[in-house]
Amino acid sequence: MEKKILEIMNGIRRKHNLEELKEISSSQTLRGDFGFDSFDLAELTVKIEDETGVDIFENGIIDSVGEMLSRLGM
Amino acid sequence: MERVFLLDPERSIQRSYQDLFLDLADFPQVRPLFQDGTPYLLFLELVASLVRGEKMELLDPDLSATERKRIKTDFESPQYGYSSDEIERFFMFEQLLDRIKHHSNDWRLSLYTSGTTGRPKKVTHSLGSLTRFVRKSKKHQSDVWAFAYNPTHFAGLQVFFQAFFNQNPMVYVFDMPRERIPTVLGQNKVTHLSATPTFFRSILPFFERPMLSLQAVTSGGEKFDSTLGDSLQKTFPNAKIRNVYASTEAGSLFAAEGDLFKIPEKKMEKFKILDSGELLVHKSYLGESEDFMMEGDWFHTGDIVQEVEAGLFRFQARKNEMINVGGYKVNPHEVEETLLSVPGIQEAIVFPKGNRVTGNILAADIVIEPGFPSVDEAEITRQISKHLQKWKIPRVFRFVEAISLSRTGKKERK
Repeated sequence: MEKKILEIMNGIRRKHNLEELKEISSSQTLRGDFGFDSFDLAELTVKIEDETGVDIFENGIIDSVGEMLSRLGM
Repeated sequence: MERVFLLDPERSIQRSYQDLFLDLADFPQVRPLFQDGTPYLLFLELVASLVRGEKMELLDPDLSATERKRIKTDFESPQYGYSSDEIERFFMFEQLLDRIKHHSNDWRLSLYTSGTTGRPKKVTHSLGSLTRFVRKSKKHQSDVWAFAYNPTHFAGLQVFFQAFFNQNPMVYVFDMPRERIPTVLGQNKVTHLSATPTFFRSILPFFERPMLSLQAVTSGGEKFDSTLGDSLQKTFPNAKIRNVYASTEAGSLFAAEGDLFKIPEKKMEKFKILDSGELLVHKSYLGESEDFMMEGDWFHTGDIVQEVEAGLFRFQARKNEMINVGGYKVNPHEVEETLLSVPGIQEAIVFPKGNRVTGNILAADIVIEPGFPSVDEAEITRQISKHLQKWKIPRVFRFVEAISLSRTGKKERK
């Protein structure tokens, strides 16, 4: 599952010609470390929901990767 | 040699105008509420209703029972209704035209708007409003038409009347497998073809060489774009490429050579463009209906246009198609046109996907041209980013075999 999430996040980074990341860690942030803007976050949530059925922003928009993973039960 | 009336290869039907005259005499009754999937029967009964001045209502053959229930028709169910006492036998086409002319003030035809949202609206047209753009002249006597619209809808009826009044053959290709169409057009030396941009995009990849017999190619029913215009001109080098603005409610209103429609000077007072860009049409141009969205004498078309200069406009989108992405209104047609300019993309449809960050983002279903090496999401994004602001870039792509179409043959936005 973590691999799938990483793949979605790297897919977004590729569109910005950003280097692909090998792993994600709980201490990272979506906007700061991944460089995501609102449209990227929107893509992220739609794609994660398509994949897992979970809306990661259902209880508010979060920036911490750790919090995102916990919402996904990981 | 007998003049062909209809060739329908899919149903192995070929009827000449003489056959039509004989069949008219053998068909004592027409169904005033017509719902039948055989195009020849539709045309036959339509002509019968015209020569007898009987009213007729057309329903899509594939309407489901539920959809059917939502429609309020004047007639109970599709059945043979009128029994005419005097059935005339025609030998000459002119004789038949005289009868049609004789009844032209009483005859009415009701159609239903495709109604993708809400209840389909009934619109009743007279022969005058249905044939506003029809031209009958010697110049047209050798035309051969390909019939590429749903015949129960306005655009299809336009083709029918144009062909019929000039006694031209019609070759029915609307529901034909796309890969067969170039051969059928060639075998029958088709000179005139009118269809939706979606239909054109679905057949263009199957032409192996330019088709020289086409003299006029008309696009209607959806937004026309220059990429399509260029491909049509390449495939049909001898054809005049036209674009028609029409609606079920008002019929054909304007024709254009590119995507710019001109309102003729003497008709200027019949049209208004609101500040919001919506095009309004004066009631004198409309069919009859109880369901029209009117404001005084003005009908709201729901079409957003861009006025380039006085009387010159370009279609932008349907009002209800605009998608709000993070507070920006996006016209999906603009995005689709940009996608279609990417080499290898044959067809594209853009639609919203809801989320809690930006309200919506754009998603796109993409059809890649047969035989074209695959194009991936990142590559498409790179190419269209040169032309579009970032909120107009689809963020979710699906690569599909085909895009689902409405009964009219237009792309269906989800």
